[in-house]
Amino acid sequence: MEMTGKYVIPASREAVWQALNDPAILKQCIPGCEELEMTSPTEMTAQVTSKIGPVKAKFKGEVTLQNINPPESYTIAGEGKGGVAGFAKGGADVHLEESPEGTILTYNATAQVGGKLAQLGSRLIDSTARKMADEFFGKFTEVVGGEAATETTDDDELDAGEIAAAQDAAVDEAPVLLSEAVTDIEHAVEDKIHDTEEKIEVAAGKGVLGGPFVWGLIALAALIAVLAVLN
Amino acid sequence: MGVQGIGARALRKEDKRFITGKGRYTDDMTLPRMTYAAFVRSPHAHAKVVSIDASAALEMPGVEAVLTGEQLVGDGIGNLICGWMIHSKDGTPMKMGAWRALEPETVRFVGQAVAVVIADTQGQARDAAESVVVEYEELNAVVSTIDALKGGAPQLHPEAPGNLIYDWDIGDEAATNAAFDAASTVVQMDLVNNRLVPNPMEPRAAVADYDEAEEHYTLHTTSQNPHVARLVLSAFYNVAPEHKLRVIAPDVGGGFGSKIFIYPEEIAALWASKRVGRPVKWVSDRTEAFLTDAHGRDHVSHAELALNADNKITGFRVKTVANLGAYMSLFSSSVPTYLYATLLSGQYDIPNIHCNVKAVYTNTTPVDAYRGAGRPEATFLVERMMETAARQVGLSPAEFRRKNFIRSFPHQTPVIMCYDAGDYDATLDAALKAIDYDGFPARKAEAAKRGKLRGLGLSCYIEACGIAPSAAVGSLGAGVGLWESAEVRVNPVGSIEVLTGSHSHGQGHETTFAQLISERFGVDTDSVSIVHGDTDKVQFGMGTYGSRSGAVGMSAIVKALDKVEAKAKKIAAHLMEASEGDIQIEGGELKVAGTDKKLTFTEVALAAYTAHNLPEGMEPGLKEGAFYDPTNFTFPAGTYACEVEVDPETGKTEIINFVAADDFGKIINPMIVEGQVHGGIAQGVGQALLESVSYDETGQLLTASYMDYAMPRADDLPSYTLLTTETICPGNPLGMKGCGEAGAIGSPPAVINAITDAINNNDLAMPATPQRVWLASRAALAQAAE
Repeated sequence: MEMTGKYVIPASREAVWQALNDPAILKQCIPGCEELEMTSPTEMTAQVTSKIGPVKAKFKGEVTLQNINPPESYTIAGEGKGGVAGFAKGGADVHLEESPEGTILTYNATAQVGGKLAQLGSRLIDSTARKMADEFFGKFTEVVGGEAATETTDDDELDAGEIAAAQDAAVDEAPVLLSEAVTDIEHAVEDKIHDTEEKIEVAAGKGVLGGPFVWGLIALAALIAVLAVLN
Repeated sequence: MGVQGIGARALRKEDKRFITGKGRYTDDMTLPRMTYAAFVRSPHAHAKVVSIDASAALEMPGVEAVLTGEQLVGDGIGNLICGWMIHSKDGTPMKMGAWRALEPETVRFVGQAVAVVIADTQGQARDAAESVVVEYEELNAVVSTIDALKGGAPQLHPEAPGNLIYDWDIGDEAATNAAFDAASTVVQMDLVNNRLVPNPMEPRAAVADYDEAEEHYTLHTTSQNPHVARLVLSAFYNVAPEHKLRVIAPDVGGGFGSKIFIYPEEIAALWASKRVGRPVKWVSDRTEAFLTDAHGRDHVSHAELALNADNKITGFRVKTVANLGAYMSLFSSSVPTYLYATLLSGQYDIPNIHCNVKAVYTNTTPVDAYRGAGRPEATFLVERMMETAARQVGLSPAEFRRKNFIRSFPHQTPVIMCYDAGDYDATLDAALKAIDYDGFPARKAEAAKRGKLRGLGLSCYIEACGIAPSAAVGSLGAGVGLWESAEVRVNPVGSIEVLTGSHSHGQGHETTFAQLISERFGVDTDSVSIVHGDTDKVQFGMGTYGSRSGAVGMSAIVKALDKVEAKAKKIAAHLMEASEGDIQIEGGELKVAGTDKKLTFTEVALAAYTAHNLPEGMEPGLKEGAFYDPTNFTFPAGTYACEVEVDPETGKTEIINFVAADDFGKIINPMIVEGQVHGGIAQGVGQALLESVSYDETGQLLTASYMDYAMPRADDLPSYTLLTTETICPGNPLGMKGCGEAGAIGSPPAVINAITDAINNNDLAMPATPQRVWLASRAALAQAAE
């Protein structure tokens, strides 16, 4: 799986850097995160319970930061084991650049899964990662931006929380042995995610949802959520 | 059920227990003090096993033991072996990498077992298996068939440099090359035979029980050949000598080849039952089946056909790379060699054939025989080439085939096989008539008006069944003889038990074998029972695969019946004071010809056992055994015709009509034969349209459940039109050829030939999913527009 992104965050590069290195904030925001500990300035351990398709597992992982060049760039890499559920590993090059609007964040992430995760969940990895990213960003916005995503919506165009809940419900209700049903559900989830993305883009253009600031944070949080989940 | 002899559509005797849920399968076996096994399997396709920490698992409730490969090797359990020796063309033997039932050092495919947990319940065993911490050091993996041979590819086994297992060839290379030099037309194609998962309904299972006092093991397992299992477990894996090991294969829910082989799990279960001193049960779950049941097919080939000016085939040249996965399974080496390249002559008189096969290791599940085993791969190649050549030279596919049919028998092909009998025009004629070949252009035009693309494809397959003359396969490298044994026990009350070395796992032997007895002695099929699948009951047997149970297994029964009949006639002649030559068996009675003197079969049987009045010197009893070793393979053949309609908007293929015209020789029970053909075609259509194994580039199996591996369903398949023609097989007493694999062998090229005809693009890989068909169809339209 590969994910790339580029976002503009209306905050100083220093502020974004600090928030993303604060384990308390991250733990609060990562869905299913039960533990997140900084074991050294460049190492974190995390424990996350996650459900990808029919596979639900507790993932224990270690994340290391390399090539650290604060507050401009680092490489984040990690590997985690989910016991019988398999393993996941990934990495991302993250770059923060100052700009008149705030901070431009770009990332280029890759992730690989193995074992049961690949055997049973591979088709659902992308959509699940995006779903979790949405959840993370909603929470991150609330914590860092001081206001909930839903509260910044100026009309009923977007309610990320409700969409995420619908996706959860859809995935939870999928009868996993009926492939057609799963396919349908998966399409439904992807459709919803697609809708969400379009709405977010529209919203970003309009300056709702906290404007480009939140949009940028969402992107960054997506990366961390993906890494945390897969680790 | 009455007297139902050869040719009767007798209902299956075994179905009563199957359809009422009273079948007795391995998983139904529960023994006192039984434990359950759960395997710890590698999530990596290629990795070194650094450490295995079982301390947490051992403290979990109910856990009896956690056993590893180190202990297994330490106890002297032997490596898994491949039982058919293939030599490369340079004379060197195949390169067999070490395969241990539990791997202590280097795992080579996802799902390979490194440890086994034994616990009081299945749930406890599985929970504990999750708590075994294995540290791996990952290695680079090679997955694709072609990449395995590339320089710099990750290497699997030190025994096999370059991942090459053998580089084998067959046929006269120089003569074949000369035919190409002189050819008027050369037809070339690259063809891939997609990898499949066998998917029997019942997953593999084993219940192993070690009796400490007797130092004796009993293994209940899902095997197609329990005696071969016992032989291999004893001779190569050092589990126990044969007289200390009983193997029982009770009701088995399908095999399709995948249950021929001995797998790590049965070995580990036997070994573990001695280690823990309790019976051990293991039952595969469905994903374990996807990961560990031997896969099928996986060939990549380049094929060339040489034609002369008269469009007669003068040469056939093939290069194939066959993927055997991470280890050599029990008969894996024979599948892409002697079961494949020896059938490349198809139904055609081809004077020169040369085939080179390179077998390779990859970090994937081992590959071995799957319904057809080599013959579907050969037929796909031959019949795709025939259709393509016909299109290239502008002949109708039926006419081009007819031009090249073999018509005189016996026919010696350039690739070992000597066809004994056949009439290929007869099956072609029958199929063309049934599908209304001549009316096709009108149907195509009508479909075009509705915006649909209609196509018709043929496949004239041949296969070699009845494996096999022991001396012949021995000279080709087989580690066993492939005869069959039978014993016919006439009880004092006249009922009959037939003990056979064949094994039924869906084929209906309990019915068809009883029909043979009914035919011979005129007795009710209900008074006959067929005993199979237990090494303590049946003397020996080579099992069921390769459509051999009729041609080989029933022939052994015929030999035993001949002996029983001779003795019964002697007794009857003695009792009725008649000449032995005047005794005739008819309607369950032994009669003196030309008189009204007669004895019932029961009276003769009773006389044999009371032994009050037997001919001078005759032993009491009426029980005879026989071994039958075939003199040749048998050669079922036929024509399959498939008509499809493709929706160019969606790429969806609908099979409108499917005709199978088969020559199976003598048929015992047409209903059961039709069932075999139905199932075979379903699997062949599955390969053509739906099924395929997918690995990602790191060797992760992505199709490991029915969510991702598409099996054919009822609405994917039409109602078939089945026809049979008959040429009697001269090689065995009943004239039978075999029918178990034909459907899976003949159908894939018929389907692909039909679709490529419909979309006017010959470049289409299996499975022909709607996406592939849509893309190929668009490409054809774009090319037409240029």
